[in-house]
Amino acid sequence: MRVVDSLEQALSNLWKKKLRTFLTTFGVVIGIGALVSMISFGQGVQYNVTDRFQKLDLFNYITVFPAGKQSPFSGERAGSSAESPRSVLDDDSLKEITALEGVESAFPEVRFPARIQFREKTRFSLVQVMPAAVAATELVKLRAGASFADDYSLSLIISDSLLTEMGITDPDSVIGEEITLLTLMLDLSRLNLSDMSSLFQNGKLPFSEQSHRFTIAGVAERMGFGGPTPLRSDVYIPSGTAADIPTISLTSIWDFFRSSGSADEYSMVNVKVDSPRAVDRVKAFAEEKGFQSFALIDQLEEIRTGFVFMDMFLAAVGMIALVVASLGIVNTMVMAILERTREIGIMKAVGAGDGDIRKIFLFEAGLIGLAGGVFGLCLGWIVTTAINWIINGILARQGIPFVDYFYFPRWLNMGSIVFSILVSLIAGLYPMQRAARVDPVVALRHD
Amino acid sequence: MFSSPLIETNDLGKVYSTGRIQVKALDGINLSVPKGAFLGIAGPSGSGKSTLMNLLGGLDTPTSGSIQVAGRMVSSLNHKELALYRRFQVGMIFQSFNIIPAYTAKENVALPLLFSGVPKRERLRRAEAVLSLVGLEERKDHRPSELSGGEQQRVAVARALINSPDILLADEPTGNLDSRTSQGILNLLQEMNRTQNLTVLLISHEGYLLKKYADDIIYLHDGRVRESEAVE
Ligand SMILES: Nc1ncnc2c1ncn2[C@@H]1O[C@H](COP(=O)(O)OP(=O)(O)OP(=O)(O)O)[C@@H](O)[C@H]1O
Ligand SMILES: [Mg+2]
Repeated sequence: MRVVDSLEQALSNLWKKKLRTFLTTFGVVIGIGALVSMISFGQGVQYNVTDRFQKLDLFNYITVFPAGKQSPFSGERAGSSAESPRSVLDDDSLKEITALEGVESAFPEVRFPARIQFREKTRFSLVQVMPAAVAATELVKLRAGASFADDYSLSLIISDSLLTEMGITDPDSVIGEEITLLTLMLDLSRLNLSDMSSLFQNGKLPFSEQSHRFTIAGVAERMGFGGPTPLRSDVYIPSGTAADIPTISLTSIWDFFRSSGSADEYSMVNVKVDSPRAVDRVKAFAEEKGFQSFALIDQLEEIRTGFVFMDMFLAAVGMIALVVASLGIVNTMVMAILERTREIGIMKAVGAGDGDIRKIFLFEAGLIGLAGGVFGLCLGWIVTTAINWIINGILARQGIPFVDYFYFPRWLNMGSIVFSILVSLIAGLYPMQRAARVDPVVALRHD
Repeated sequence: MFSSPLIETNDLGKVYSTGRIQVKALDGINLSVPKGAFLGIAGPSGSGKSTLMNLLGGLDTPTSGSIQVAGRMVSSLNHKELALYRRFQVGMIFQSFNIIPAYTAKENVALPLLFSGVPKRERLRRAEAVLSLVGLEERKDHRPSELSGGEQQRVAVARALINSPDILLADEPTGNLDSRTSQGILNLLQEMNRTQNLTVLLISHEGYLLKKYADDIIYLHDGRVRESEAVE
């Protein structure tokens, strides 16, 4: 029997029972739709995390911080090397790190709170110091304007979400405008040590406010996934300019208690290297000096394993509907065999081999699988697009930029159709075998 | 001139076992049918006529004895070989026509060619040719529900003949037809028998039809051949 003939037979048999074929196929459509939606979500998360990290060069970043400090990433206390002499992560260390082969730049993580005054509005925010070289990388996604000209320019980059908070929706309109940062500094002249209570009574804190004028050079997109990126603020200023701003650099109460007391010690230094191989060099240096280090690339394997488990879980959930659908195929085809017993008997009597009968039923199952796969994939696209819109619509109100939470790699598109056909064929195996075993003598015995 | 018979059975037996009950449907049948014969098979209901037909047609396998057709041991063919035997060496027609209701006459006749991989156009062309041989060229695109019983049986005959088999097995082909239509069908079989040297085995309850058309008649009773008489 030729393939075209098997195909035609199968098609016409399915066509004869349109409603039943439709319902059975619809089951597969839902099954595949659920499966691809689940998997595309897993892929979307994966894509947003690893692939984007890769694109942003995040695997070329390594963070060095003093020993004994809580790791800012793991939450657990990084194993401090108690026996090694405690060295201080200061400007000298910074220079040493910068001198290492493969290190492009190293900049301390300096953030300080400030009041941002712009167009008669004031917002409280964290200001982060960033070298112009880093600010010019892809890490900072500009929505308008440009990065700072150099490390000493009096310009800054502001995030779009802070602007949105201030009720400004057009980022282009603010470029070149003046903006004021009001920072606090410890003013010892105000501190009356003999009368601490005055501090609280007259509300006079021992701080004075300093104002600094900047122009807005660029508007950056706020990172949806801030986690391990060195971007953790809404305002960025160049490092040279920052050096002129005296501040209290405590960004959290945690730092206050943990700080070793040395004013020059950085709580964290971000290092950008030119290749993942240089990461090891920086790590070795950190270990030798008794610092802790964290590199995202070390977590890559762990992240990947995590994704495999997540994918497996998502696929398992998605598979439930497909298993139910394949039971539907078995049911439909067994019914079809019962109805077509006589027809099968006739075919065998005129010379059809068992293989010919098998082929017809297998093609029917395969066609259901093909249609189910194609339309299931479409359903998956439609559903995930809709969900993506809804989620982004909700998150946009909180200033989180648009992110594709679902991702359909090519293998998923191709694979879902192939998988659908495969599952349907497997579901068709038992009915097919049963059809091939129809005894023509019994089938043709007249009623 | 010596010529070996086309069909030869040797102590052919068939026992149906359903649970503990065993039914001896055929019990030691020895047949020898020369090529070109028109053999009638008679016998009461349940005597094993259809069972014999199914064994000769390769639809079923014997439980004892053997069948040889054209020198080939049909009784020891495997499933695949039996399918080919049914496709090319025998054609069968039945009391209940057994044509597929959803197919047109032409499609029904072309069905056996489907399994030998003949392209569709060729299949339908050949089916039309055979349909005109049985006098149904006008009704080739009609479905069985639009055809009379006699016409449906003609479709079945055409289908049985499309692969030019050596043997035509007819199991009460006229059981559902009136006498005039019955004779029309049997005339057709007779014509094929005479013009194409087709070997015909005909089962019928109607003694007069057997006497009119068959060269030779065997009588089955309880699975055994009772007697054989020549028709002059
Ligand atoms: N599949 C089967 N299982 C059990 N017994 C069977 C089976 N097929 C036929 N028989 C029995 O075998 C015997 C012969 O049956 P068969 O159909 O050959 O008779 P027949 O001569 O064709 O009768 P009829 O003239 O009524 O068609 C009967 O007793 C029947 O009950
Ligand atoms: Mg019978």
